[in-house]
Amino acid sequence: MTGRPGITAIAYALPACSRSVRELGAAGQLQTDPEVLENFGFGRVHIAVAESPYELAYRAAARLLEEQAVDAASIDLVIYSGPPGTLSLTPAAQPWNGAALSSTARFQYPGTLLQFELGLLNASVLGIDQLACSTLFGALRVARSLCVTEGIERVLCVHAEFFPAAAGREAVFNCTSDAACAVLVERVALRNCIAASVHVTKGYYWDGDALKNEIVASYFPTSKHVIERVIAAAGWNAADVDWIIPHNVSLRSWELLLSLLALPNTRLWTDNIARYGHSLAGDNFINLRDALDGGAVRPGQKLILFSYGYGAHWTALAVEA
Amino acid sequence: MSVPHEVVFFTGATGLVGGDVLRRMLAADPALRAVVLVRDAGRWEQVSTRLALPAGRVGAVVGDVTRPGLGLSADTRVPLAREITAVVHAAADVVFSRPLAVARAVNVAGVRHLLDVAAGWPRLRRFAHVSTAFVAGRRVGRILEGEERGDAGWVNAYEQSKHEAEWLVRASGRDWVIFRPSTIVCDSAAGGVTQYNAVHLGLRLLHDSLAPMLPAAATSAIDVVPRDYVAAAIAVLALRQDLAGRTLQLCAGSGALPVDELLDVTWRAWSRRPEWRRRGIPRPVLTDIATYHRFELAVEETGDSKLRQAVRALSYFAPQLALPKAFDTRAADAALGGPAPAVRTYWARMLEHLVSVGWCEAVKGVAA
Ligand SMILES: NC(=O)c1ccc[n+]([C@@H]2O[C@H](COP(=O)([O-])OP(=O)(O)OC[C@H]3O[C@@H](n4cnc5c(N)ncnc54)[C@H](OP(=O)(O)O)[C@@H]3O)[C@@H](O)[C@H]2O)c1
Repeated sequence: MTGRPGITAIAYALPACSRSVRELGAAGQLQTDPEVLENFGFGRVHIAVAESPYELAYRAAARLLEEQAVDAASIDLVIYSGPPGTLSLTPAAQPWNGAALSSTARFQYPGTLLQFELGLLNASVLGIDQLACSTLFGALRVARSLCVTEGIERVLCVHAEFFPAAAGREAVFNCTSDAACAVLVERVALRNCIAASVHVTKGYYWDGDALKNEIVASYFPTSKHVIERVIAAAGWNAADVDWIIPHNVSLRSWELLLSLLALPNTRLWTDNIARYGHSLAGDNFINLRDALDGGAVRPGQKLILFSYGYGAHWTALAVEA
Repeated sequence: MSVPHEVVFFTGATGLVGGDVLRRMLAADPALRAVVLVRDAGRWEQVSTRLALPAGRVGAVVGDVTRPGLGLSADTRVPLAREITAVVHAAADVVFSRPLAVARAVNVAGVRHLLDVAAGWPRLRRFAHVSTAFVAGRRVGRILEGEERGDAGWVNAYEQSKHEAEWLVRASGRDWVIFRPSTIVCDSAAGGVTQYNAVHLGLRLLHDSLAPMLPAAATSAIDVVPRDYVAAAIAVLALRQDLAGRTLQLCAGSGALPVDELLDVTWRAWSRRPEWRRRGIPRPVLTDIATYHRFELAVEETGDSKLRQAVRALSYFAPQLALPKAFDTRAADAALGGPAPAVRTYWARMLEHLVSVGWCEAVKGVAA
């Protein structure tokens, strides 16, 4: 059967604890005035305490398999991303043990553990790293390519990422959540077919702390360029786009970007920005899941998923719902 | 009957324009003498040495245009009244970010004080006033040389004060000529820049990845001029009798460069250096003024100082880009026998010069 690869299932897991932006401000976890962040659209974020990244990854992946009644043995490939080695197994409240990375414990990978614990008997495992908030896009890019080039049928992409504990709860004027997200990519999908994918990396901005201002400034022209490229690569026009499924960064920056793209604000699916803030693990896919569940996104609609990853990466997917 | 020798009273001779005009006028007319009004005699010493002015033909008086009577003593005023035949007024506060009161004190009151003093100069035949093309302020479209409307408002206090100064000159009852140069960016031959201004500051922000968007249409033209063109034009035309009551726009006019092309040329020039090219700094997006203002607001709200400073600096002149103008230069071109050099003939040379002297560091302290 011919067809295009696409996203056939999404599930996510959030830590139990959540805090309001005001609470974060009072706890000294923000650099920016909480009121400003509220004006930017943020309300609450989820913060891992007892959970480890792996635990959330497991929950997200298990939920996906269960909800969609996916036979674990039918998964051909797991693409896992998150903190390295056993650090992935460390609960958030515990300090990371750097020594674990300089011993053979480093090779105790969460991706293989997930394969074992979920009984993904026929799945090989790949890891993806260094893409920050664009990681799941990278995983989907690889998954889609392997579906096409190797004929792989089912790829389970899983990303669990916590914001570094010492860094507070803010990344460049965005409030951050801890989360995990699992996305199933199938070689032949009837829904959410991937029409195009674009990924741009600019190594000059690799040091996000030192070049924060420059990154904010380069964010807009590069984002516009990447979104326009993915629209063109999908063979669409900007006017065809029904929804932008965002990464949950400040509404203000999204409004600016939409304005540069000459797209109306009403095309942006914003429900989760206030609810969850910005998770490094895969806002866009969490949002897509909720937008599909809520009925906002209807079959056949044209979607653009766009994210920026520290490091610095700009990435976009064109998806036909 | 012999033509009486010109004795020209200069203000702004220590500045970018005034000094070059003075040097050229002295060179063109060996009989011409000049008196310069300076605030600081020591600075004038340095400037006159740098300009290699002919000995014995230029006298200096210390004063200040913001003060009634230019702050000149009675002893100084008497010989001036006997001698001066023409004024070239090039003193100004050219900083765009000044509060209106500060800009007016130099640019408007300065003209008033000069006209008051000049009222006691019986031999005065010409008042040559150096204004700016941007007295047009927020007006868009074709800007005619004879027009003096201020009904659209201004982008900054500098523009407004220079507009108000023109009115004083026009209403003075003197024989006047007004020059309206566009923004001066460099010397045309080597592209050398002797004084940094808003354009060089803006270029630095683009070069250093601090200017994500510009409020301009792709076809809006950037009108800038070389210093040598402006100075030569004023030197040649300041005393020409047939230009009495005329306003001459010393602008690129049809030789202005569309923003899109200017960015192309600029990115191409900078990209020749591998160390800049590999940064992958994106070209700014051209957008409407409303979006641009939203961006300014967002940066202001977030309060990060480096970007905020950059955006504030741009705010004093970037909005001009959203107000596309085509400066009419017919009167100036006719008087000079040709137009200003087209911007595309020297822009790349200027960029090379800027890079070669490391202007990004040097321009950091310059006020917009
Ligand atoms: N540069 C441009 O791009 C440009 C473009 C269009 C029009 N213009 C016009 O051209 C004229 C000259 O500008 P410029 O670029 O040569 O400016 P500049 O380099 O900043 O020089 C300003 C001159 O004015 C003098 N001055 C300032 N305040 C004074 C005061 N209170 N009393 C006496 N002298 C004072 C300065 O003397 P000190 O040495 O004492 O500071 C200096 O000689 C101005 O009318 C300006 O509006 C310039």
